Amino acid sequence: MAALSPVAAAASSSRSRSLQLLGIFSGLTAGAWLGAAEAPTKLVTLGLSPMVISLVMVAGVFLARWSLPALILGTSSVRADAGRAPHLVLWAILAGFLWAVANTLTVYAIRDIGLSIAFPLWNSNSLLGILWGFLFFNELRGAGLARWLGVLGGTLVMCVGAAILAIASSGVHAAGANPTHGVLAALGAGVLWGTMYIPYRKAYVSGMNPLSFVTFFTIGEVGMMCALSFSTLGAQRLLAQLQSARGVIFWLMLGGFIWVIGDLFQQYAAKYIGISRGIPLSNTNQLWGLLWGVLVFGELHGRSATAHLQVIGGSLLMIAGVGAIIFSSTTARESSQWRVAAQREATRYGLSSDFVAARLDGRQSAGESAPSRTLLDWFLVALATAVFVYFAAIAEIPRIGGDWRPAALIALISLVLLTSCGVHLWRVTRFQ
Amino acid sequence: MSGKDSVSARNLVTCVLTDVQFWVPVAVLAAGLLLLEWIR
Repeated sequence: MAALSPVAAAASSSRSRSLQLLGIFSGLTAGAWLGAAEAPTKLVTLGLSPMVISLVMVAGVFLARWSLPALILGTSSVRADAGRAPHLVLWAILAGFLWAVANTLTVYAIRDIGLSIAFPLWNSNSLLGILWGFLFFNELRGAGLARWLGVLGGTLVMCVGAAILAIASSGVHAAGANPTHGVLAALGAGVLWGTMYIPYRKAYVSGMNPLSFVTFFTIGEVGMMCALSFSTLGAQRLLAQLQSARGVIFWLMLGGFIWVIGDLFQQYAAKYIGISRGIPLSNTNQLWGLLWGVLVFGELHGRSATAHLQVIGGSLLMIAGVGAIIFSSTTARESSQWRVAAQREATRYGLSSDFVAARLDGRQSAGESAPSRTLLDWFLVALATAVFVYFAAIAEIPRIGGDWRPAALIALISLVLLTSCGVHLWRVTRFQ
Repeated sequence: MSGKDSVSARNLVTCVLTDVQFWVPVAVLAAGLLLLEWIR
């Protein structure tokens, strides 16, 4: 490769810094919105099966994953991405399968060992993400000891902080029927989620747009969730539960919609700072979920001083871990290793090197037509809106009490993050 | 994408089936489904 001129090298370094800041910003915004997704589900107090709650949320997710990409870039852009790298559609669907099976395993883990033990076990997924990122995509290669310690140490500290928060917020759990099953289910969910990041990173080092990836991801996600729900509950019981849940379907689907907004930012974080840094940063969703729970729904009301201290300590540990990861940004040497991994994918699957390099740099490649929306895109947006409006019209007003002043404040902060990060993404990458 | 870069459908299948990044998620998914079946 020819050496860059000093001006070109400075521009490349400045672009790299800009993309890294964007990745960090995306990871933190993802945390806020993934955490906010818990709020609508807290309004649902009916005795529904967790499988039904997950299935309805995934229905909201499906609508969002088809309508948002159509609105932002247009389905023609999604089609073009799939045409350039058709093999990635398979990986996206595979990732959706992995997510759905992991999500179902958590239901059994919580039932058998409770959230406080199950959560730290499946939260290990970010550590597995670091391993896969290193092995398959050259993440942290040539990063140096300080950055290794920052990323790995920061992630470990975040896991400990998250475990303390889970213990503080989950209360006492009565022993389930089979604790061994619960432990295995929680560990299994962690391995499945951690492995799901392989398709994420593979798609992004190959140049696929995150908006295209999630459109195919959701086919696997909703397909596997439907199959698991039918096989667990049976068609009759499932339909009966869905019928009885008519009044709360809107709130669950809204939770799914908000979750997708967070997930989209997580995808951009995984693209621009890799899975080893992007996934732990977006795992700050637990802090935001706790903020909603404590300030809006009074979940710590009447709890002991120990529980309050655990919440403060766990939160501080998570913030310290986030700081360590933020200050362990990618070096030029590590970035060049990422490009080696991208080139390897390009060679293997016959992708244009220029295209892959441009997309890795958050740009469109030369000759690539600008994304545009068609009638089909507006139809998809209108259809998703109509479904939400219908379920909103038949939704029951939640009977659960909440303090809506902090809710308004947290929602405002989340909206400011969404707007500023969205505008930044548009300015720097045009959502590439 | 240039013609030189394009991979035929048969080659694409071979590329996928010989890619360890395909088999690791597939193996984990299969193990996850077996685990789920066992604990249900």
